Formats: sequence, C-alpha cells, structure tokens
Amino acid sequence: MSASPQPQIQVLQGAGSAVGSTAGAPTRVKDAGNSNMGTFGVKSGLAQMLKGGVIMDVVNAEQARIAEEAGACAVMALERVPADIRAAGGVARMASASDPHMIKEIVEAVSIPVMAKVRIGHFVEAQILQSIGIDYIDESEVLTPADEEHHINKHTFKVPFVCGARNLGEALRRISEGASFIRTKGEAGTGNIVEAVRHQRAVAGEIRKASVLTEEELYVYAKDIQAPFHLLKEAARLKRLPVVNFAAGGIATPADAALMMQLGCDGVFVGSGIFKSGDPAKRARAIVQAVTHFNNPKILAEISENLGAPMVGLTIDANLEGGRLAQRGW
Amino acid sequence: MKDTQLSPDAVIGILALQGAFAEHQVMLKKNCGKRQLDVIQVRTPEELKLCDALIIPGGESTTMGLLAKISGLIEPLREYVKTKPVWGTCAGAILLSQAISNPKKGGQELVGGVSVKITRNGWGSQVESFEAPLQVSGLRDAHIPFPGVFIRAPVVAELLSAASELHTHVISRIPDSLLPRSSLDEGPDRAIVALRQGRHLLTTFHPELTFDSRFHEYFVHECVLPSLAP
Repeated sequence: MSASPQPQIQVLQGAGSAVGSTAGAPTRVKDAGNSNMGTFGVKSGLAQMLKGGVIMDVVNAEQARIAEEAGACAVMALERVPADIRAAGGVARMASASDPHMIKEIVEAVSIPVMAKVRIGHFVEAQILQSIGIDYIDESEVLTPADEEHHINKHTFKVPFVCGARNLGEALRRISEGASFIRTKGEAGTGNIVEAVRHQRAVAGEIRKASVLTEEELYVYAKDIQAPFHLLKEAARLKRLPVVNFAAGGIATPADAALMMQLGCDGVFVGSGIFKSGDPAKRARAIVQAVTHFNNPKILAEISENLGAPMVGLTIDANLEGGRLAQRGW
Repeated sequence: MKDTQLSPDAVIGILALQGAFAEHQVMLKKNCGKRQLDVIQVRTPEELKLCDALIIPGGESTTMGLLAKISGLIEPLREYVKTKPVWGTCAGAILLSQAISNPKKGGQELVGGVSVKITRNGWGSQVESFEAPLQVSGLRDAHIPFPGVFIRAPVVAELLSAASELHTHVISRIPDSLLPRSSLDEGPDRAIVALRQGRHLLTTFHPELTFDSRFHEYFVHECVLPSLAP
C-alpha cells in the first residue's frame, strides 16, 4: 500500500490526453477567440488545487464561515448533512431546491470554492447551479437519485463535476462521462470509516492489478470491470486514477483523515463528521492539519487532543437507518 | 546544459501544506535531470532551513496561510523571502504579495516579500477559468507561446511604489481582450500575469499543470543559479 505523499503525477496531463479528445471541444470560447473556457484542463486543474485539503459539508453561511476559518479548501453546500438526510427520510434534493437564497448566501460569505450536490442524473439541477456560478458540482448518491439508469453527461457543462465510486470500473465510467474529480463513496452520514477504506482499497488494488497486465489482458479486464478501455490503460500506465481522488463517507476524526491519505487519497471530504461533533471549529481545524501532516504520528497525536466528542457513529448493517447510499449509482 | 554553476547539493523546496505541490516536484525532476538538484517537500521550519530556494504552489491561499501559521512556518517564511529566491504560482503569488484585495472575511495570513497588490479570484468563479497561449520574454524559445492555465486566478491589481526600486521585470501580459470584464480593479497593471522582482518570480497561472517545463528552467536559471554563485 502506498503511503507515499507523492503519487500525484501530473494528473491533469494524463487525464487530458486520455479524456481531452472526447471532452476537448471547448464549451465556450472567450470573445477574443484566443482562449478556452470550460476545458478539461481547467476542470481537473481546480481539483488539483484542492489536493492535500479538506472539503467540508455546510448547510448555511454561518457553517461555511466556520469551515473557511478552520482552513477548508472548499465547502460543499447542501440542504442537510448526510446524517440528517438519513434521519429525516423522504426525498433529498439539490440544496437550493427549497431555498434558492441559501447557496448564494454561502457564495457571498466565503472566498474559497463553493461546491454543491445534485441528484444523480438530474441535469437541470446542474444547469441551475452552473448558472449561479457554483465552482464544482457533486453528482451525489447522498441525494435521492433522479435517474436509475443514466448519469449526467458532464462533458456538456462548463462547471466541473466530482462523482463517487466504489471501485475502479465505477470511477472510470464516471470519468468517461466527464467527471474531472473522483471521490470514494464510503457510507455517508455514518461516522464509520469502514466503507471508505473498502472502496479506496478496491480502487487502488484494481489499479495495481491492471498495471501488470498485458494489453490483451487489459481488454478482458476492461470488459470484466465495465470500464472504458482507453481510461483503464491510462490508469494502468499512471498507476493511479487519471484524475484527483479524494476520500469521502464516514470520516469523523483526524486519524480517519490521515488513514485515507496514507491509503493514497489526495484529500478528504468531511460531511456530518464536523457539524455533528461536539466542537465543530476545533475538529475541523484538526482534520485540516491531519491531512497536511498525515505521515507524522507525533503531530497527529498533538492535534487529536481535546477535540470534544466526535459524532456518534452508526453500525453499517441491514438495519442502517436510511439504507446504504453507496449502492446508488451505476 | 553546459551550466555547471549549480552546486551539486542545491536543494529546492516546495511548500507542501496544501495544493498542487507534487506537480512542481515532477516538473523540476523532469527538467533538471542532469543537475544535482534535490527537490524536497516542506511542511516544517526544519525542512525550510534545508532549502536554497522555494516554490509556493497553487492551492487555496487561505488554507495555506492558516496552516503556515499553526505549523510555525509563517515567520520563518517571512525571513526566508528576504534572502532566498522564491516562486509563487497562483495561490503562491497571493501569499508572496505585499497586499491583497478580496481577502477572506476578517483578513488572511500573507508571507509578503514582493511589492505588488493582488486581487484574489479576479476573473470570478470556476466557470470563468480558462486556458490561453502567452508570450513570455526570457523563456527558452520565447517565440513559442507558453500554455497559460488560469484557474480561479488572481489578478495583479498594481505594482506598489517600491517595485520600481526593486528591479521589477514584467515578463508576460495577457491581451486586453482576455481581461476580466467585471474586473474589480481597473488599474493599468492588471494585464500582468508573470513578473520577476529581484530573485523572486510570480505567476498568476499554473506552469506546473502543463507539459512545458520552460518556466521551471527559467526559475532555476534566472533566480536560483545566480543566487548560489559565490
């Protein structure tokens, strides 16, 4: 298992050469005709700028400010954090579906990138978020899917997308649809790291396997894991996903975050783990430090002191309230 | 390269608190294969002390500033820029600037050291991010445009008055037609996207996200090597 802090080899270039040909047509060309906007390069490039950082779920401007002050590299706007989505039941939608001002208030409150979730397949929610200048869209299994067969065609948007994945095939299918950033799904809203670890180990293990296959064997493997061949070949060559890969779904402590970094993730998303804990500001800052100093147990010990109570975790079994969100997405 | 000025144990550090630091590391190793360059990641004051030059990468400037402060790096960095060559890309350029507009509410930590005022996110949100070819003077094969990648990029609001005494060389500007339409600062300097001031280099875009290593060569040749000469 790679505990190395530098597996990130010019991700953009790998992705650009592999995906750029399909995503290459610029969505819009600036007036001068001499510059391109919405290229795969700037989409995956922003994800590269987020590396080594923590993206925090927030439900209002006040929480967004707490996250920014704690050192978040971006915030994720949504109506309810995943733990509350589980508890509330019903249909979970894009954040501004009920309150259109909420996202705008968050955008105005902070200077860091603002991301927001849309339902799987709900391309109109994505069009709305693009029009109000959101920096990144998460097509997320945490919300109730709008389409049980198709994901959004993300190439047609100027705004970049991040998507969840449980294994290499799923990650490469999302990249093929235009995702410029992947996160492991984990099991959101549980405060239980076990699924995030399972998914990251699955992705990393499958890439290691692919990296030693011959080209003939890669064709077969692509069929087996239902991955586009050219992207599988690129991942095998790079020995990593061709885009940035964060961990998500169950991170509740600084040690959880450092664990995912040592397993080879480029950064972490923290959802319920911060604002469902006893002292959100302190815990948020400690997780930010943990992602930077993930290979330094001495610093990890110092920053883990006196953080107050973590969120109450859930056992992931057949009785899990709200069900297994990670199984959504295809 | 015929250049042999560089002592075999020259160390270039890359500030690795957050952001795209690994990309710089790959570029330096790629372009300086024949040189005895050591490239290390810097997260602590002890690591900073080992470096003959430093790159502050792209990322989130508020996150890097905060982490520098709580890691005890902010004062060592301020001392460092007074004597050693430093290159800031995008967020790194923000951290190196003497003053900024559009900061985080309540202000944010800067390292300073370059007499320039910078506006964060000068083009707007991510949907305004773009790529454009740039003419850069002083690069190898300067007639070949350099691929500029601008991601939520900052804009140079103005060169501060001290800049004229500090050997400031603007090495690249973008055409007016590419300037942000809703520019917050309409000063004459806002077309500047790359500049040198003394031994420091500042770019508002991301040479580390391209295949083109000429900017890394430029930094090593023009900023690092001369500072090591006896």
